[in-house]
Amino acid sequence: MSMGLLQQAVLSGITNGFVYALIGIGLAVIFKGSRIINAMQGEFAVVGALITVFAMQAARMPYPLAIVAGVAVGALSGVLVDVLFVRPMTRRGASEESFLLLTIGLAFTMSAGALYFGGRDSHMLPGFGGQGVLEILQATLPVHAAWLMLAATAVVIGLRLFYTRTLLGLAMSAAASDPDGATSTGIDVGRMRMLTFVLGGGVGAIAGVLVTPLISMNYQMGIGLTLKGFAAAILGGLTNPLGALFGGLALGLLESLAVVGFPSGYRDVVALSLLVVIMIVMPNGLLGRAGRSGG
Amino acid sequence: MSTISKRTALATAVSALALAGMAHAQSKAEPYRIGALLSVTGGLAVAGQPEREGVLLAQKVINARGGINGKLLDIQLEDDGSNPDSAVSKANALLHTQKVIAIIGPSAIAQTVAIGGTTQSLKVPLLAFTGLGPPVERERTCVMHMTPSQELNARAMLSYARDKGYKKVGVLHDSGYGQVIWNSMKTLGGEYGIDFAQVEKYELSTNDATTQAAKVKAASPDAVLVLGTSPAPFRNIRQLKMTQPVIATHASSTYENVKAMGEGADNIIHAEFLVAEDPLPQQKEFVEAFQKEYGKLPKNFAAAGWDSVMVLAAALKDVGPTPTGDKLCAAVRRVHQGAMTRFDFTQPDMGGFTIGGYTYSKLSAGRYSRLDYKAGGAAK
Repeated sequence: MSMGLLQQAVLSGITNGFVYALIGIGLAVIFKGSRIINAMQGEFAVVGALITVFAMQAARMPYPLAIVAGVAVGALSGVLVDVLFVRPMTRRGASEESFLLLTIGLAFTMSAGALYFGGRDSHMLPGFGGQGVLEILQATLPVHAAWLMLAATAVVIGLRLFYTRTLLGLAMSAAASDPDGATSTGIDVGRMRMLTFVLGGGVGAIAGVLVTPLISMNYQMGIGLTLKGFAAAILGGLTNPLGALFGGLALGLLESLAVVGFPSGYRDVVALSLLVVIMIVMPNGLLGRAGRSGG
Repeated sequence: MSTISKRTALATAVSALALAGMAHAQSKAEPYRIGALLSVTGGLAVAGQPEREGVLLAQKVINARGGINGKLLDIQLEDDGSNPDSAVSKANALLHTQKVIAIIGPSAIAQTVAIGGTTQSLKVPLLAFTGLGPPVERERTCVMHMTPSQELNARAMLSYARDKGYKKVGVLHDSGYGQVIWNSMKTLGGEYGIDFAQVEKYELSTNDATTQAAKVKAASPDAVLVLGTSPAPFRNIRQLKMTQPVIATHASSTYENVKAMGEGADNIIHAEFLVAEDPLPQQKEFVEAFQKEYGKLPKNFAAAGWDSVMVLAAALKDVGPTPTGDKLCAAVRRVHQGAMTRFDFTQPDMGGFTIGGYTYSKLSAGRYSRLDYKAGGAAK
């Protein structure tokens, strides 16, 4: 094994880790604010990416404006999920399992919708900074991947500041942790949950826009992204966006280094076996119990 | 005759005339009912969708010309969802409920093997979009193969590599389709004088194979063989700034993949059959009709779909308006110059693919061009 190969594996693992983390961050946001495991987080990414593509191609919008459109539609999708499904189910006293089933069903529905409106083709978006690659030591990194890492880090920092330094963020956390207590202090719990889904949908759409230049996007990619993002979020403690980032990086690096150290056919076996070991040793995730409850 | 008797007689005559007219109209309009069992959804839709387009186009063209023997083609489409179990139940429905006289498809070898026994025993021709598979298929002389075997695909790629002087190659293959080709290819290295310097596998549905490609790069091959249908490894090879030519199979040669490859759609050689940008004379009719109908250029799977219907049409023309299973099976086993290639269904593999039947293309900056290369010639 050469040093160049190891360096490349690390860079690739970090890149993929950020891809998983972006989905995991959205999952963590929604779980943090609603205690709902959102199995359709990957579909928010698909929606955000495809809307951006069509805004550029069909509506001839400039790229930045198309991204805004994609993120806005992602956020709006979150609103619709809350208003049309979550709110009525909450009123009827639905259980956590029911909400999980809901989001699984919606995941398939949104995937079908993406197929109907977007077709079967895969779509690419222009990479930030173009299609070039950076040469770092003996490895290469697409320029866009560097931007993805910066953007994902900015999202995590932004969310941390939002949840810890703003009244709205604190209110959203409180509404999820203790709805009755929050209500008694005048917090509109229903509105906070809706904003959670707005934020989760928006973060999901941002993830879609950021990953599409690297992996392309089509109607059936949402579920695969959700699974990886879910692993990242669980590793990180499920309520902590920062934890999802670390979880994603851990997963990406495990996969990549498994290919280097073992025959590539065993990649998933090795990576997921190590994940199991991590969860046994650290059942509250990489950031522990404090990270699980923090913001 | 009483009034009632007159009325009865008149009513009976009118009814008889009406029934006779209906029977006549029905017998005149009775089409050839053919089943098409394709993977239009699921993981194999990348093949099933264009096959469907080719099949429907051929049906339209034939019916526009008045059909065959005065009868139109009525193709009953079913989707097996890329699932062999579903293929079995859908095939049974086509055979026993729809009473089709032939079945076009399926799109994958597992499905073909699953239903081939049934169609063979009923002497219903099956024109499968798969190459010859396990040994049992050699006994199924009513199952035709519209695409080459994976061993022949492997030989087509290795022939090009050998003739271009690539002695040391790296291989990237997926865990599904690519694994099957690799299983054939790995025993052929010595015959073609090629050393497989590094072989790496990636998951069928992967979005990234960068590390696997990096391992191949580290072996400094003369060329890279990519065995799979995903665009991911092609992107990753370019992201790693690998300059070696990439040689791939026809299965990855689709315009959808080219889009998804991005800047990776460059310096790729495909061992395929149809380069619609520069079609061979026997392919022009199909390419023009396809472009007119769908507003896009076709590739290999669509050509196979078109050819399957044309083969059946030619067989039906010979057999006549009331084909029986035995006669139709025998009539399908013929030589047929198709848009995809020259088929010879009289051969033991029920397909007659030869290495000389491949057309090689080069994908440069997202555009295909036909190469002036034929496999099977002297080493260059």
